[in-house]
Amino acid sequence: MKIFSNFAPDICTASMEKRWLVCMILLPFFLACSHQERMDDENAVYYWRTEWRLDSLERDFIEQYQIHKVYCRYFDVVTDEGATELKPIATIVFVDTVPQDLEIIPTVYITEACLHQSLTGLATKIVERVVKMNETNDVHNVKEIQIDCDYTLRSRQGYYEFLAEVREEARKHAMGLSTTIRLHQLSMPVPPVDYGVLMIYNTGDPQKYMERNPILDLRDVEPYLRYLGSYQLKLAAAYPVFSWQRVFYNMNLVHEVSADEILKVKAAVENERDELRHSILLYHLDHDNINRYDKKTFEAFYRH
Amino acid sequence: MTRKHLKRFIAISMMTAVSTTAFPCVGYYTHNYYLFHVYNSNEFSNRMDEITLDNWKSYLGSDEDLYYFDADKIRDFANSKGDALMVSYVNNLERYLDCASKVISDAWDYPSKEDLAQRNRIINEVRTYAEGKLTSRLRSQHALLFMRCNMLQGKHAENVTFWEQTGVKLIESVYKDMMKNIYAGALLKTNHPDEAGRLFAEMGDWSSLMTQYYKKRSYQAIRQEYQHNANSAVLPFLLQDFVNNSQEAVDEDGYGKMFVRTITKLEAQQMILLAGEVVKEGKSRVPALWMSAKAWLEYMYGNRQQALTDIDEAVKMEGTDWMKNNARVLRFYISAAQQPINDQFDNYVAGELAWLKSMNDEDGFYWRANERIVHQVLVDKYAQNNRVETSLALLNIIDPHYEYVEALDTIDVKSVESYLGYFNRTLSSPLDRYLKNLLSTHNSDLPDTHTPELELYDLIGTKYMRLCQWPEAMEWLKKVPVSFYNNAGYAAYAANRSYKVEPWIKRQWLKDSIAYSGEPQHMTSNPKMDFVKEINSMEDRLKKLKGKNHQQACYDLAVMYAQANFTGDCWYLMRNGKSWADEVRVNEADLNAKAVRLLRSAAETTDPQLKERALFALSYIYLYPGEEWFTYNWGASGGQPRRTVKPETSQYKAFAALAEFEANNKNVSSYVSRCDEYIQFCKYFKK
Repeated sequence: MKIFSNFAPDICTASMEKRWLVCMILLPFFLACSHQERMDDENAVYYWRTEWRLDSLERDFIEQYQIHKVYCRYFDVVTDEGATELKPIATIVFVDTVPQDLEIIPTVYITEACLHQSLTGLATKIVERVVKMNETNDVHNVKEIQIDCDYTLRSRQGYYEFLAEVREEARKHAMGLSTTIRLHQLSMPVPPVDYGVLMIYNTGDPQKYMERNPILDLRDVEPYLRYLGSYQLKLAAAYPVFSWQRVFYNMNLVHEVSADEILKVKAAVENERDELRHSILLYHLDHDNINRYDKKTFEAFYRH
Repeated sequence: MTRKHLKRFIAISMMTAVSTTAFPCVGYYTHNYYLFHVYNSNEFSNRMDEITLDNWKSYLGSDEDLYYFDADKIRDFANSKGDALMVSYVNNLERYLDCASKVISDAWDYPSKEDLAQRNRIINEVRTYAEGKLTSRLRSQHALLFMRCNMLQGKHAENVTFWEQTGVKLIESVYKDMMKNIYAGALLKTNHPDEAGRLFAEMGDWSSLMTQYYKKRSYQAIRQEYQHNANSAVLPFLLQDFVNNSQEAVDEDGYGKMFVRTITKLEAQQMILLAGEVVKEGKSRVPALWMSAKAWLEYMYGNRQQALTDIDEAVKMEGTDWMKNNARVLRFYISAAQQPINDQFDNYVAGELAWLKSMNDEDGFYWRANERIVHQVLVDKYAQNNRVETSLALLNIIDPHYEYVEALDTIDVKSVESYLGYFNRTLSSPLDRYLKNLLSTHNSDLPDTHTPELELYDLIGTKYMRLCQWPEAMEWLKKVPVSFYNNAGYAAYAANRSYKVEPWIKRQWLKDSIAYSGEPQHMTSNPKMDFVKEINSMEDRLKKLKGKNHQQACYDLAVMYAQANFTGDCWYLMRNGKSWADEVRVNEADLNAKAVRLLRSAAETTDPQLKERALFALSYIYLYPGEEWFTYNWGASGGQPRRTVKPETSQYKAFAALAEFEANNKNVSSYVSRCDEYIQFCKYFKK
């Protein structure tokens, strides 16, 4: 702190004394602000289906790995075909009741195309819809909303302004706000939210499946590691446990990520940013995904 | 020459905006449309909508078409006639539709618990009302309304019973068809999938069928269905889905597709055997369906001779009109791919193209088939048989804007000249006559500034420019009026840039508002002609010059070549568009190489100022794209990128020569001393 080295006690004037006092008072405040409050240790999952219905395996999974938070996709927001109006689609239907001891984070996915339309009033519409969905479907344990969007350099500014509005609206209902952060978004200024969930998947080019696993490959993550340390937003980490099947050049390709690769990436990102070992999410809760890995592997994914 | 400029160059990828000869930056078209299409894909729900609207129109006694259920209009009319039953029906139908739309729609206004209770109450009221009118004059309409309410409330078993005891006895009508559709859905919900599937297929409800059979689309499922009922209505749907999924498996279109069931080669071969057996057994009333499926699978998996035999059989077999027409389309593709070109073949192709064009094509199948056959089979086949003109004309009738233009742009200039003659001479082949006739009709719609003749004159002139054959270029370009260039997609660039500016010293950036305005320009002379005349005269003069004058002329000429090159600011002289993926093509001279040779000659001068300019110009990266003096490496553990110097590259050598020259130069020019790339280089060069 260069300012202090300039003080010489023998020439200290009254005004200087005041400055010194002010600095001493403010210093702890600055230090506190510069040190981000860290995420709590917690296990969570995304729920990315159109019907809320848990089978026994999924319920056991939640219990076994002490999952208290479920980031549940409520609906998507898209541009109306051929029009500029934005509309909700694929709204989740609550077939089963939601266990009250489970904290639900309503998650709303917004396509990037929406950000190129007028967003006036959208924040209110989204928050009010989420609140009403909670009321109608007896989802009571809700403390925050998450917005998911693959924003780009071009759309970032508009998206951040929109997030600020959502945050304001959410506050009226005593809710916080988080957003997803894709790796390429780490190089941008941070969004105005309480924290981000770093999406550590869909990192590769699906066309180059021979070279890299498009879901996750450490080599695709590496170029972004350098941004992690200095990213000025609290972050949770989300890892992929899903598979992706497709036909490509007369081949039936099933992409799934080996546990080793996930754990390698986990170690690499946690090495760059210790905070990422605290709040850990898996994408996404599903019977097949649970059967994909064994108990020890899931324990390793959720190791803090 | 700055890093910023380098980045900006990489980012540039421009389309010519309004030119009829616009190129895609990096285009890739597969034309791999499905060719197996054996039923009308007009959806059940669409057909029902059309008929009900016609019924309302008829009730209103109106000549005007209705495009939606206009409750107010119908109610007013019914009131005026004193038709109380119709008024009450419309009122209740409206209440039902309002509830149903809320249930299925994703409105911003999400329902509250009270809303849901209210909705349920309304549906109960409408249901009770409809049940009370089942013996009225409008009994079919009310029966449908009753079933709809049950459906919305999940009372599927009740709907099954109602249909079987009441609905089935009603007279044939669109309302009965809709009831039957609800009944099929109820059967599915009450665990009677086979019967439901058959009903959906009979009704042409492909959306419901796809939902129902999404995970059951396989050889096994088709075999079981056939064994269950050789003439099951589900079979065409399942077979079409299977064959087209097989196409996905053998496709090589470069794009992974999702939601497609994987068909292995083994499974496809099992299907081929089954299709053959079905035809032999003779139980199917539509053998054309099975035989054409067999033929197409054989073809896709490489057994092309067998495919030809099979499809020749298939076109003679029994089937629905759709199946027979589909067999004919497949025969066209399979035989066109294998038969030799001769008069008979030309006749056949002309006949089949005309037939495809004549077909009623509501769902676009015949258009897609035409596209695929022309692109995948005929274009290459005729080109390889030295019928380039026919090949181009085929492309032109299908897609006059992209692949046709790209093909014209890449073939040699003599072929384009010959193609121009195609339109001016008598053609003997019936196929050529058919194509020429079709094109005359197409071209009559084009604007005067961009007639096909002018396009070809410009293209031929430009192709000669690309070969640096300036006198030949002038012969063609002089036929093109300046209005052509003022309306070209690149007109804004042509009007605002100069090929005399040294690109290594000054880049001619255009504001987006100018570059993308799309407005016609107001040039007063043909920009290509101006360039050609000037460069031609400079080359003539160069031959006569010696010493310092010769070296200066070399430098000036190098500026023109560098500007006209695809990496130059005046790329529009030789190309219609610009992309980061550009490169020197066949049938083109390497203008950058010419510029480099001329600059090296200029650099031999004893004039220090010219020498400095020439050496600096030689370090311009766009003279050797991809030959940068360094690369960035990303460390395995992240962190800052590391610069790796590449002394073997052209730019490194040019910078080194410049640095050595400047080491003894007391008056370093500011364009050198302020060049950030050169400054960076010097840091490493000294190391």
